[in-house]
Amino acid sequence: MNSNGDIKSGSYRKSAGATKKETYAELYRRFILLTLICSVFPLILVGWGIYTYYSEFATARMVDYFQNLTEYHRKIVELFLKERTADLQLTAFTHSLEHLRDTSNLNRVFNTLNREEVFFTDIGVINDRGRHVSYVGPYDLMDKDYSETFWFKRVMERGVYISDMFMGYRSVPHFIIAVLRSDENQKWILRATVYTDYMRSLVEDVKIGETGEVYLLNREGVFQTAPRYSGKIMGSAPFRMDVFTEESGIHILEGEKDDLDRPLPKQIIAYAWLKKPRWLLGVKQDYDEAFRAVNHANHAILIFLHVSILAILVVAILTTRHMIKVIQKRDEEEERLSMQLLQASKLASIGELAAGVAHEINNPLSVILTENQVIRDLGEEATSLDGDFKGQLFESLSQIEAQVQRCSHITQNLLRFSRRSKSKIEMVDINKCCEEVIELLEKRAQTSGIQFIVDLENDLPRLLSDPFQLEQVLINFISNSIDAHEGKPYGTIRINSRLNSRKQGIEINISDTGSGISQENLKRIFDPFFTTKPVGKGTGLGLSISYTIVKSLGGNIMVRSEMGKGTEFTIFLPFRTAKDFEDSPYDVAG
Amino acid sequence: MMSLDEPGIRILLVDDEEAFTRNMSKLLVRRGFRVSTADSGEAAVSAVEENEFDVVVLDLKMPGMGGIEALKIIKRKKPMVEVIILTGHGSVETGIEGMHHGAFDYAMKPIRIEELQEKIAEAYQRKKIRLQSTQG
Repeated sequence: MNSNGDIKSGSYRKSAGATKKETYAELYRRFILLTLICSVFPLILVGWGIYTYYSEFATARMVDYFQNLTEYHRKIVELFLKERTADLQLTAFTHSLEHLRDTSNLNRVFNTLNREEVFFTDIGVINDRGRHVSYVGPYDLMDKDYSETFWFKRVMERGVYISDMFMGYRSVPHFIIAVLRSDENQKWILRATVYTDYMRSLVEDVKIGETGEVYLLNREGVFQTAPRYSGKIMGSAPFRMDVFTEESGIHILEGEKDDLDRPLPKQIIAYAWLKKPRWLLGVKQDYDEAFRAVNHANHAILIFLHVSILAILVVAILTTRHMIKVIQKRDEEEERLSMQLLQASKLASIGELAAGVAHEINNPLSVILTENQVIRDLGEEATSLDGDFKGQLFESLSQIEAQVQRCSHITQNLLRFSRRSKSKIEMVDINKCCEEVIELLEKRAQTSGIQFIVDLENDLPRLLSDPFQLEQVLINFISNSIDAHEGKPYGTIRINSRLNSRKQGIEINISDTGSGISQENLKRIFDPFFTTKPVGKGTGLGLSISYTIVKSLGGNIMVRSEMGKGTEFTIFLPFRTAKDFEDSPYDVAG
Repeated sequence: MMSLDEPGIRILLVDDEEAFTRNMSKLLVRRGFRVSTADSGEAAVSAVEENEFDVVVLDLKMPGMGGIEALKIIKRKKPMVEVIILTGHGSVETGIEGMHHGAFDYAMKPIRIEELQEKIAEAYQRKKIRLQSTQG
């Protein structure tokens, strides 16, 4: 029955401990979760907001920049072509056919047009039948017939014509500007070949990053200038022209392949159409390069976000751990206090019981003692009794009296124990205190084969302390010393008292020849509920209560122990004044 | 309940433990005292009112009127009577409390006859001195 009960209570205690651990773990999890929800969630929200907003903003700015760049270059090219057209129109309208038929006159005009910068490669006058009537330039083009050419027909219709790049008779890429002069009686055309290098430099020399290029395309997707990477002049573009709208805009090229069927990187093309001729000016760059800065910033935001989350996580874990430890410590302290309170109330009720028992025993003892005396009186008076009988009778009566005195002593000690719950500070004779405790425990020690060796210094000054609590402390220490001899047939416990070396207080030294305490356990002996005694024998509270009492009396306890040899406790109690006890829970007597 | 045996110091022994009073009175009578007994505070008070006593030996813990209460009344009614407190409680404090209320001395149970005899003699001695000083 009993052992069953023990197992039950043991397992209950274990499961209670496990539940407590689980509660702390649960608390830990909740704290972490709460911290994460409260801090990481808003952080992610803000981070996501910044990331999205910044991405959109930066992308829009980048696109704007591309469009502006494109528009700028379109205007430059258009302006150049307009100026050259205007040059030719001015020449045609300020000179007559007859005048320009003369090659020397045409040469003079040609030189004037190229005076500031070489804009034209050659110049010629073509009559209304399409025949070159005058020509200045590096090629032999006099009398060449253009009547069947596409451009001749166009200029005769529209008055002004700017051609696409073409190879023509000279077999180099070039383009011409032709203007028509219509007088009342005749029509003629002033045609000039634009100095291609100048025009190309306007476009081709523009550098945008490492992958950027600017080029001109005609409506059929033929390069009018040489792009840096995408192809050759007069070559076809590696993409379809129908991706470009009639308005200027932005196009993202994705999944395109080059001539050798290799995939091209994602690219951004900003484009704008020239009015005359209908060419497309494209500014192209690898998408990754164009948005490198934006991507860098976005990466920085993401890194910052991750680092922040990590930091919050670490801080949350550390803070929570610390908090749980504090809570755990507080719980333990609370539990310890309530156990102490329980112990104190137990002691108080034991005290009351002891007082009652002592009183009830003292009365019969009084009766025994008086009966004893009555018999003794009768014996003394009786004359008929022989001497031997009387002697034996009186010896027995003396023995009865001695035993009554012994019982009376026990009850007095019990009564003293009952008064221990009342804390009162008064002048205490330490030696007297020691002697009383020794007397109380001597019989118990003797039955365990233990001898007390008492050496109390004479004429110790009395000190202000609580005699009842001090007795309790001494009882605890000496009881422990007796218990430490378990398994040994005999042993000694030395109890000394002396003035401490600096004369600041009194030291009580209790050393035993018991089993000793291991270094590991030595650190924990004053912890509440720490016991090495078998289950049911020790509460693990004795030393902890003693420690608390000695501390509250202003003293301290030192321990030295060697396994197998014994333990030595030194209790130091300082000389204190009533003022020192003012903040303590003690009443100071007198 | 009351008995007056011999001339000598007149003693009233008050205790609810009948065996104790019976034995103790025997012992005291044998030692030349005149002893009466009472088993309660009330009985003690009426005994003191009706008869003259030199010393009252008074137990503190009794059913009904306790020792301290009886002590107060006795000292009020017969201030010349000396009272010795007997306590089974073993505490010095209750004895001292009795002395505050006019008891001559206190003793703890169990008490040896010699000790009690000594205390009674001292109490009687004191009564005599007080009597002389009031008459003188």
